[in-house]
Formats: sequence, structure tokens, C-alpha cells
Amino acid sequence: MGRSYFVDEAVEEYLVGIQTAPGSCVTGLLAGQSSPQRDFVVLAVQTPHRESEGQPKASRGVSPLDDIDVEWVTEHAKQVSRMLPGGLSILGLFLVTPPELSKDAQNALKRLIFAMDKYITKGRLWELSEEDVTDQVTLHICSKTKKTVCKTFDVKDPKSSAKPADWKYQTGVSSSWPMLSCSVEVDVQIPMTGSSSDITDKCMKDGLRRWAKQIEAACCLINGRHALDDSELVSGQNPKTTHRQTLPARIFVSDAELDERSSALVQLCSGSVKVRGVVHCRAYIHNNKPKARHAAQAIKRDIINTVCSRVEMFLEDLLINEGKSSLFRCTIASTTNFC
Amino acid sequence: MLQCDFIFRLKGILEFACQLDNPNGVQSQSTISKSFQDLRSKVTSKNIVFTVCNSPVLIWPNTGFQSSVESLTEASACGDILQWIESDDGGSKKSSKKKDKKKSGPTVVNMKLLFEVTEPAGNTAPSLIRVSTQQHCVKMPLPLDCALSVTTDERLETVCTGLVEALNKQLADMEEVVLQYRKGSSFLVPQPFHFQLPEPAGLITVVYPAGVPDSQLQAVREDLHRKFELPCDRPYLRRANAFHFPDAAYKDGYLRNPHIHLNPPNIEDAKLYLVQGVYSYHHYMQDHVDDNGWGCAYRSLQTICSWFQQQGYVETAVPTHTQIQQALVDVGDKEPRFVGSRQWIGSIEVQAVLNQLLGVTSKIMFVSQGSELATKGRELANHFQTEGTPVMIGGGVLAHTILGVVWSENTGQIRFLILDPHYTGGEDLQTITDKGWCGWKGPEFWDQNAYYNLCLPQRPKTI
Repeated sequence: MGRSYFVDEAVEEYLVGIQTAPGSCVTGLLAGQSSPQRDFVVLAVQTPHRESEGQPKASRGVSPLDDIDVEWVTEHAKQVSRMLPGGLSILGLFLVTPPELSKDAQNALKRLIFAMDKYITKGRLWELSEEDVTDQVTLHICSKTKKTVCKTFDVKDPKSSAKPADWKYQTGVSSSWPMLSCSVEVDVQIPMTGSSSDITDKCMKDGLRRWAKQIEAACCLINGRHALDDSELVSGQNPKTTHRQTLPARIFVSDAELDERSSALVQLCSGSVKVRGVVHCRAYIHNNKPKARHAAQAIKRDIINTVCSRVEMFLEDLLINEGKSSLFRCTIASTTNFC
Repeated sequence: MLQCDFIFRLKGILEFACQLDNPNGVQSQSTISKSFQDLRSKVTSKNIVFTVCNSPVLIWPNTGFQSSVESLTEASACGDILQWIESDDGGSKKSSKKKDKKKSGPTVVNMKLLFEVTEPAGNTAPSLIRVSTQQHCVKMPLPLDCALSVTTDERLETVCTGLVEALNKQLADMEEVVLQYRKGSSFLVPQPFHFQLPEPAGLITVVYPAGVPDSQLQAVREDLHRKFELPCDRPYLRRANAFHFPDAAYKDGYLRNPHIHLNPPNIEDAKLYLVQGVYSYHHYMQDHVDDNGWGCAYRSLQTICSWFQQQGYVETAVPTHTQIQQALVDVGDKEPRFVGSRQWIGSIEVQAVLNQLLGVTSKIMFVSQGSELATKGRELANHFQTEGTPVMIGGGVLAHTILGVVWSENTGQIRFLILDPHYTGGEDLQTITDKGWCGWKGPEFWDQNAYYNLCLPQRPKTI
């Protein structure tokens, strides 16, 4: 009854080739796409080594498992998930341990998987739907025998226990997945309410969330057809071909929601933030009888994620720049900052 | 009278947004106008799309007419669109034609306004611009609603161009209303209302400011009555007069004008004189009030009140039995213990309540025997021609509503269109018309020996 993970052979090669120092552990991410019936893993990437002073931890009498830098692992996961194209996401973690630590590996994986999910999904602008799979996979590999143990946790439920899952290797799992693509014009204006002209997280989040809701609710055409109901995504492609097809997507929004107010909403703002420009988005969708609306959802989420990440980076830049120069702290007349 | 086969109705929401440095300053008007100008550019841009509700059809009206469906081109007649619309009953894509149903007016094609955010014109990389000026940020969703009446052979392309023009005009009208009723940073939402005026005006749209009652918009209506050459003594442009689209259900659940589903009797040399406008059918047992056996005159009075409300003469809701009884106590016609009782009322009480609650005067017609009613053809015909209001008639032990007559001036033959408040069932049009709860009756319908009083409500002279 557990989930089935169809894993690309390239991932198998990668995992087998991981070098571990004797007695130490290696963590890493597994990325791919989930669907209600089955899951596909197409990428594995090891957590990079953190440059830090200090002796190897094992010599200080602490178990390498307890010493896993959770913060570092989750930060890596966030960076990687930002870079993944639409349709792909982090599906779980792998952990390589020496044989003597195998029995404690599951606990470590459980801690890590919940922490990672929490960190990655913080600040996400779209809500999970009922159909979204909330299971994350944990893969334990013994460094000596190369034996793997695969289990899943439902990250929606903090009390969930590990469930067994199938882990099968296959060739070319994603080689013929169609790719949806589109360029989206973004023009969002977000007022900064509140007394200071500092850009507050809350204002940005509220403003972007309104825009994200418009995108989520938008009408979507994929390859010229409506992507509404449960009909299959028709890519017109022979499943046996290895050539990847590109499907253009078009998005149509309705400007705003109507409410029953009889007067306008007027807010005194200390400033505003405009996000403008064109983003290029793409999303891959598995080719195991995918539904058109799931494909539409994937490209829409990529649009939202792309803009969200871009804005986060702009704001990080602004923050760094502001720290350097006190000029930007003046609030006389109007000042505009570009980045 | 011009026959129109279709009404294309386009609805959508455009967000009006602007930033005002000083809402009371002289600059603010031009800032507001600039924002409206931007919105007008938006609806004439290549990015707007019309989607036809319940269909896969998308139309790009500003790109030399493109549609998402190959068979619909610029040369297509607008009627061709029907084959793509899924009707609510069943999944068939064919338009359902019920041959035995009386034609209930034009077919409404509902469309929604959308904007494409893909296929952008430019390719500028995203940037974030921060403005640190204190400003008033104004946001207001504009409820756009445009309607066009067309014949079936009109080209679809022409319809779409017409709708884009209508959007533009509506935005201009909305700008006018917003500027006129703005007080500093307080903005009223401009709301469009459609009205079906006598030809040649036809279906027009007027934008009124939300929250400003009809009573304060008298001057606006006077201007429009002049412009459209409408009579100055009856309302055409109050919000209650707004056109009711044939495909829209009435939210309150009451049946409207059940009589239109009946065929008038075929009497030689006779003419038809009917109630004008719209009324609701009120009868026994409605609104969880069990008035079976005593409430018939109250129900007829409710039908009459519903007429005055829907023709725009009053804004008050149709009164309940209790409110009717209280009104009679207030005018001194009844003792306070009348309220909550099951006492009958007659035409005189109906006249008193119409005056007290609605400010409407009525004429009373007295007939000493039921058989005499057959001779009142001329009076009733005149009444329906000039006033056109429903008539309450009480006598014997029953009260009814007369909605019209078929009367021959030469032969004196007469039939009465009767709405019967004694019906105790649900709002089932089929039953009501089949079983004669709304039906044409002959002079033998009346108790030939009883005396009758009729209450003929008069239209107030107002717009």
C-alpha cells in the first residue's frame, strides 16, 4: 500500500559513487515529481561540505548523526528548490551511514525531513490542494553494503510514522516528459502601509499573495486547449519517442475579486513597491497519463515561485545595500531605489 | 418593434488604482483621470480576451479577431457561437430548442473579460522599484458590465468590436461618476445598470454611484429622460427598473408575471388590456405564514405592493401581514388588537394601506351585484391602458387580483385575467397555469348576487 518511487538510473549511479570518509555520514537531496499514483525521482545531489574550523566531530565523542548540520542541509535544500524548474520539487532526502550507525539512521532522517519541509515551504505563496502528495521519501544507504532502505513520512502530520515504499530504478525516467513554457509579464504594485518606509515582509507577502491568487485562479490554455477538467494532457506525442516536446502555455487573469463595498479602499501609505518585468517559466510534467489541470497547476506554480524568488533576492540585495550606505535612510521627498 | 435575437453580455472586473499625494489638492483630479486613461488603454490593447461562459471559446477582439476555435472567424454570424455553449441541462453541445415553449425573449450569451499575461510585448528583465513618498493609495474594483442587443445574422466580429467600444464608453462614464461624487479621498464605486427603453433607444446602460439612493439622483434622471425623450411622469431609470436578463433567476423565489405564459382568449372584435411591467405572485402559505382561509386580500395587496416596488416607485420591501395590520392601526382604521389577528380586510383597507405605506392613492369602484361586472369593461380597459396597475377585487367571501381584460367595445363581450391568491402550493408555474390559479375567466366567475368593491391603484406622477 506504500508509495512507489520510479528512480532514474543516473541517480543510482550517483548514489553508488558517493565517497564517504570512514565513520562519517553524508546527506543529500532527492528531487523529482509526485503524482497521486506514483512518484518519479530524477535527481540526487549531495549536501556540499560546509567550510568550518574545528576538528572532525567524531573525535570529540559525538555521534556523527547528531552532528548533522540541520541548518546547512535545509538551507541547501531551499537553494536547490529555488533552482529547480516547474513541476520538479524536492521529494526527500538520502543519508549514507556506516553500518554501525544504521539503526539510528531512521530517527535522524525523520528529524531532517520535517525540518527541511518546514523551511522550504515557509513563505510559499500558493496553498497545497487536496490532491497534492504530502509524503516525503527518506532513503538510507549503508556505506559498506550499499543496501538501501526506503521509507516515507507524511509531512502534514508531525506524528506520522515511517511507511515502507518501493524504490525501483529505470532508464530515462524523464527523458520524454513534455515541457510547458511561457513568458509572463508581471506588473504588481504593493503599497507599504505602516509608519516607516521600510519594506515590511508582511506588506510584500500580502501584496504578492493577491497577485499569486490571480495566477492560481487564471484560465490556462496548454497547446491551444483549455486545461480545466480531468481530461488528459494531450501532447500529441507518441510515448515511445525520446524527443522532448515543448508545449506553449497561455495564462488569462481576471483583474480582481469583486466585493460588496460601495466605496474604494484608501490606505495612507508610507511608500510602495513595484515589481515589473518579464519572467520566463517552464514546467515539466510526467508522461504517465497526466491530467491537463495538473500541468496547468505546475506552470502556474512555477510562475509564482519564480517571481517570489526573484523578489526575495531583490529584497536581500536592498537590505545589504542599505546596510552599507546611510543615504537610503532619508525619507525626505521621494526616493527611488532600483535593483 | 425591432426584434433582437441575442443579447451579448460582457462582465469583468478592472482594478482602478492610483496614488494621491494630496487628495484635496488640484493635482488629484488629473491623477485620477490618468489612471482611467490607463484602463482605457488596457481594454484596447492586444491583451484583452473575451471568454464565452460555459464554452471553450476564447476571443481576442483587438487582434483583428482571433478565436480559440477554428470554425469561428471574423465572418461568422454571432448565432454560430451557440453550438459551442454547453446548456445547463445535459452535456449536449447543441443549443436546445424547445418547440412547444413560448419564445421567452432573446438568448443571452454571457462573456467574461480576461487579460492575457503571457506572450508579452517586451522582454525587460524584472526589476523592483521602491517609492518612499507618503501617499494615499486608492484601490477600487470596477464592476464592468456591457450589453449589446443584436440580430442573429450580425457578424461576431462586429459584436466584439461593439463590446470593446462599450467598455471604453463605460470607463469614461465611470470616470465622470467617480470624479463627480468624490470627496477628498472618499471614492464611491461606480455601478452600471442596464435599462430596456422604448425603441429607438433600446438597451442602454447608466452608471450610478453606489450608496447614493435613487431619491438623490432625481436630477440625473431628469437629464436622461430629456435625452431619451421619455415621458416625465413615470419611472424608467430607477435602479429597480433595471433590465432583468432572461437567463437570470429571481433570488427571492417568487414567480414573476405568470400570465405571460397564457394565451388570451380569442374573442371576435375584442382588444387586450393588460397590466404593465412586472409583479410577483403572492398567495396563501408563502413566507411560512399559514393564512389559509383569511389572508387572500392581504396577498392581493402584496402583489400590488410588489408591482410598485419593481416599477421603481418605492424602495420599501413588500409588507408582511403584521405590517399591513399595523399600518391600519396607525391610521386609526383598526384597534391595536387587530395586529396578530386573522381578520379579513377589504378593498377599503387595501386602499388605506397603499396610501399609508407606499404613498399611493387608489380609486374605489363599487358594483352592487356580481353580474354588473360584465358591464365595467370600459373602466377596466381604461385603467389598464393609463395606469396599468394590478386591481384588487373583493366581494362575496373572496378576494382576487385582476391583471387585465379582453373586451369588445362593440359586443361588450368580456373576459377577466385573474390571479388567485387562494393557491396553497409551491412556486410551480406549470401547476399555476394549468390549473387556472392564474387564468382567464368569464363573467360567470363572479358571484352574481354579491356586491363587489374594486381597488384601482393610481401611479404617482414621478420619475
